[in-house]
Amino acid sequence: MLSGVFTKTLRDYWLRAIIGAVTLVLFLIFAMASYRAVDIAIYTDLPDVFLELYNIANVDDAGGLAYGTVYSFMGALTLAGIAISIGSGAIAGEERKGTMGLLLANPKSRTHVLVSKAASLFLLMNLAALILWGGAHLVPTLIDVNVVGKETGGLVLHMLVNALFYGFLALMIGAWTGNKTTASGVPALVMVVSYLAVGILPLVEGIKDLSRIFPWYYYTESNPIFHGIDWGHLGVLFSGVVVFLVLAVFGMNRRDLSARSAAVTLFDRLRNYPFMHSVIERLAGSARVSRIWVKTMSDHQGLLVVTGFILLFLCVIVGLLYPVLEDQMQDFSEDMPEAMDALIGQVDIGTPEGWYQAENFSMTGPFLSIFVAVVVSARSLAGEEADRTMGLLLANPISRIRVLSEKALAMLVYVFLLAVVVFVGTIAGSLLGDLGLNSVHVAATCFLLGLVSLVFGTVALALSAATGRSNFAMYVTAGLALASYLLQSFLPLNEDLAGYAKVSPFYYYLKSDPLTNGMNWAHAGVLAALIAVFYGVSVLLFQRRDLR
Amino acid sequence: MSEVVLQAESLTKHYGDVQALVDLNLEVYAGEVFGFLGPNGAGKTTAIRVFMDEIRPTTGRITIFGMDARKKSVEIRRRIGYLPGELALYPNLTGRDTLTYFANLRGGVDWAYVEQLADRLVADLSKKVGDLSSGNRQKVGLIQAFMNKPDLLIMDEPSSGLDPLMQREFQSMLREIIAEGRTVFLSSHTLSEVQRVAERVGIIRHGRLVAVESVHDFRSKSIRRVELEFRSPVAASVFAAVPGVRDVLSQNHRIVLSYDGKMDVLLRTVADRYDLVDITTQEADLEEVFLAYYRDEATPDEATGNDSTSHRGVRA
Repeated sequence: MLSGVFTKTLRDYWLRAIIGAVTLVLFLIFAMASYRAVDIAIYTDLPDVFLELYNIANVDDAGGLAYGTVYSFMGALTLAGIAISIGSGAIAGEERKGTMGLLLANPKSRTHVLVSKAASLFLLMNLAALILWGGAHLVPTLIDVNVVGKETGGLVLHMLVNALFYGFLALMIGAWTGNKTTASGVPALVMVVSYLAVGILPLVEGIKDLSRIFPWYYYTESNPIFHGIDWGHLGVLFSGVVVFLVLAVFGMNRRDLSARSAAVTLFDRLRNYPFMHSVIERLAGSARVSRIWVKTMSDHQGLLVVTGFILLFLCVIVGLLYPVLEDQMQDFSEDMPEAMDALIGQVDIGTPEGWYQAENFSMTGPFLSIFVAVVVSARSLAGEEADRTMGLLLANPISRIRVLSEKALAMLVYVFLLAVVVFVGTIAGSLLGDLGLNSVHVAATCFLLGLVSLVFGTVALALSAATGRSNFAMYVTAGLALASYLLQSFLPLNEDLAGYAKVSPFYYYLKSDPLTNGMNWAHAGVLAALIAVFYGVSVLLFQRRDLR
Repeated sequence: MSEVVLQAESLTKHYGDVQALVDLNLEVYAGEVFGFLGPNGAGKTTAIRVFMDEIRPTTGRITIFGMDARKKSVEIRRRIGYLPGELALYPNLTGRDTLTYFANLRGGVDWAYVEQLADRLVADLSKKVGDLSSGNRQKVGLIQAFMNKPDLLIMDEPSSGLDPLMQREFQSMLREIIAEGRTVFLSSHTLSEVQRVAERVGIIRHGRLVAVESVHDFRSKSIRRVELEFRSPVAASVFAAVPGVRDVLSQNHRIVLSYDGKMDVLLRTVADRYDLVDITTQEADLEEVFLAYYRDEATPDEATGNDSTSHRGVRA
């Protein structure tokens, strides 16, 4: 795999492409299985803006709905996201790491390097598309869903070319600037803005045609699920790909390459302005390095800000939507398939509490919060070994327990802040949508949300302490979290197995229906005990191990 | 001898089948610079990481300041300054942030002294560490190691990346430390780095301590570098048979060799048979003694490693 730039790039990114595609196929299985059992009128009756945004306008059956939500909407964004990450890493990423100089010390032209990277990006996206295409054919047969009249081949091809468009845009920006943040940020922004614009603009009379200036239009407008390939639209996107490649070759060859560099944050820029200097100096400089846990928090600030905003937005919007959808939800709750019911925690989605639980507290809330806890734990503890800074840190007169506990404290503060965000967002949403949620019960639910996140955060901590490998700790914990979630969701469907759901930490999070019933201290106690056990295990393991 | 600052007793470290350290015994005394020499992969870094309690010995024990390195690690580290090999720092912190961070973790660091060290080493502390060249990053690492005025400085390849001017400054900083009765443990694979400051050197290879001697004893080893110039070319093989001769190099009319026998024996070998024009002999420096040590036992691949790290100084 190291025979050339092309194969080396494949080797660097193949896992990313395959994991993305396989995850989408798994989602498709799951979506088809649930939609099969639902009266999908509930979806097709949604306001137009939702239909547009979820890419399910004109959908008339379970198969179409699943393809629409999982592939056409989520899949297209995911695939394009993967392409952006590969495209931005290809040139700009190599410069940030400082390996570009060495690479170009070989008798290979810049054009050769760029084209090789572009070719592997192209191939990897095709590989991902192939997996998606295979899944699109296999899944309906497997679970017996009728998908007659769905042009999956056309849909996947549209997704592929769309993804290539953003991937090559990222490659081009990287080739021109050598700045990885710009190379990934700009295409992501273009993608999200154009996706939203193409969903919303057509609903507004008079400026309908404005959506034509957005690239997403040429991906989705021809409705490839039903009409198959629209060569004209694909042609527009593909000429974009070609233009970006040509521009990339040009940009790459005319520029001074940048050497290895540290990322520049907003704080760094503000720090250079005289009138902001003293305040920012404290925040970005002396305050941030005052303690291990403060520095750890500062290291992951971006993660906190992004997830915090997403959670806040979701919590508020869910409250706002309730009055609009209330009637439909009450109908929906009667037709709800058991499997779907299981996933949102067996609640009545027709009530405000059930609505909030289904939309926020059953999946997105815990997933995001657990994600943050796990990443902060693993990156801050094991990551310090991977970055080889642990030796220097522990050259100071501080014990390993102190390092571990300050890292854990940073994670705890993050989880706490996110729980506060969810609480504030939910209360705001409840007030704005006039749902009348009991604020004490909301607080109790957020508390339990924090606890369940800490359980998985400490699992990641223990794995990091035991191995010093952050990716291992993250992936294994994410797998455990997903398995626990599915156990708690699906075991109760079978009466004989229902009791086993108690092994899942999720059971102690939502089983007691805290939004309706308030705090369940016994369950909180179980979670707290788990946290204590995993933390204790982390301490023991970290104390006795040889550092990497 | 004065007080023992660092003592290793039968130190052994295995990684599975790999023996990184084998039965290593070592004493470092207060007020000396101890040079720890060996080729890459000999076990120097492993030993230092055991001293720092980053890794734990399979058997044996370490005592530093009379305390067990494992049990009293925190107390010991309060009095240690440490510079790891292949220094890694936090790329997103500036030099000043980095030093502030470690000063906070240590406590009791005199910031005026930090500024003074930065001035001496001409270190730019305002830039992000990730944007610094490796030499400038090394300066941040050095300040970090010196700033708490440690009783024992443990440094792994400290002058890597420093330009000659800075190396000289660094050496004078080491001498000041010694003058104050503090102790330095200096690991290196280049002898030139150690011989100017060290009093004693330990030589390690394959995880075993081969020898510990004073630099003076090394120097007084009777190895001499001999250069012979002839009227016409002479084959190197002529000298190979002479006892005490090694590393014979033939360059046209010149023969260069290392010799640890009696000079008249060597001279008699040549004077009668060849037309000797000129002869120069020099006291071997540490580097050559070092090479001689290894040549006796080194495996071929190791010998290559030595050659690449040795460098011959120009002497009068």
